[in-house]
Amino acid sequence: MTKPMVPSDAELLRSMLAGDERSFTALYGRYKGLVYRFALLMSGQASIAEEVTQEVFLALLRNGGRYDPQRASLKAYLCGAARNQVLLLMKRERPYVQLVDESDEGQEVPIAQLISDDDPLGDCARNEANRLVRQAVLALPARYREVIVLCDFQELSYAEAALALDCPLGTVNSRLHRGHALLSKKLRAAGLDPAPDTEVMRCFA
Amino acid sequence: MNCHDFEKLALALARNSLPDATARDQGLIHTEVCNHCAARLAQERALLARVRAVAAEMAGEEPPARVDALLVAAFRAQTVATASSIVIPARSRVGRRFSWKLAAVAAGILILISVMAIIWKSTNSRMPQREDRVVAPTPLNTPGPRAEPPVGRDQVAGERPKNLPKRVRRHASVKSPDEAEVVTQFFSLREGEDLTTLDSLQVVRVELPGSALGEVGLPVDPETMNEPVKADVVLGQDGLARAIRFVR
Repeated sequence: MTKPMVPSDAELLRSMLAGDERSFTALYGRYKGLVYRFALLMSGQASIAEEVTQEVFLALLRNGGRYDPQRASLKAYLCGAARNQVLLLMKRERPYVQLVDESDEGQEVPIAQLISDDDPLGDCARNEANRLVRQAVLALPARYREVIVLCDFQELSYAEAALALDCPLGTVNSRLHRGHALLSKKLRAAGLDPAPDTEVMRCFA
Repeated sequence: MNCHDFEKLALALARNSLPDATARDQGLIHTEVCNHCAARLAQERALLARVRAVAAEMAGEEPPARVDALLVAAFRAQTVATASSIVIPARSRVGRRFSWKLAAVAAGILILISVMAIIWKSTNSRMPQREDRVVAPTPLNTPGPRAEPPVGRDQVAGERPKNLPKRVRRHASVKSPDEAEVVTQFFSLREGEDLTTLDSLQVVRVELPGSALGEVGLPVDPETMNEPVKADVVLGQDGLARAIRFVR
């Protein structure tokens, strides 16, 4: 028994641009979650995530013909578009966005900001831990947050993340290292990460 | 391999994404003899496990149905617009042979449209009872600062109020401001519903057959009832149409 052929992104995009609604809904269904969750993790606000999703796919409808499959996967292309939209909207709504701190790269976020206001006994421990991780990610500077969201949450390769962020591969690598160090620090401050703090040192082993 | 070299590989080792098998083996051998780097790898793995637990929890989070509905409506509207822009050149090619006939037909259509516009305006001005069905300003109003001020009959669409929410404004203003449009009042599609109770609304530009004018009590010319007319449709959060206005 043969499996039904799954159309590629490029095929769906081509049909979509030719006016096939089923191709559009298939493509949208394939990537709406990715774009929405990226925007949600970046902004922490469902309203921004909705607007970003809307704008990214409207832009794909209008300018999908400009997408070059030779240059990047559609996944990376959409993540790049979502990233630009998120930054634009967060800049517009900066006074209302919480826990985004560009200046505290080397500083601790106060523990009070990372601890639930709710009764911790009322929540499942796992859900509470996940919530704190999300808050800690939101508290990262945007340049580290975006690379962690793309590579760790969305599981893009470093190369795809570099295309989405329009930066060199080495920059992705270094930002990911630095972002992980900051995130670990914040999680330890919240009492979440049991692993010891380790500093890079010369070893002659 | 020393700790400095190991640090360069630590993330890729934790992610199991190191393509070079030799480097991976050397890195893992190093962790057996260096407690510091073993702890470093464990830390990275613990961090990734936490992040992936969150990613798994979020796997079901998707945009609400109203975003789906809006995008499908936008796709349909764009498809109609694209189709009409494709048809026009085809007609013009045929028109090289029958240009005088086409010119006459075009002139006739222009005259017909002008007469219809005059009749429509005069009929509307003589229909005060219709005002009862017109949803006055409130349909697009949302609570708080996102409220849209009253939109009058035959308002020029390019003159949009500045306090209209950006999301609504963006999709309502399909044309540039210099391409002024004349719009009708919004007509409610659900009698008795108070749209101010809804959290948010979306306005989508669509094209409908001319017969749709009759659905809200506007005069319909039988000869043009199948021709497309532009309309702005107000969608609720559930993606259902709540109000409509027509655009010239």
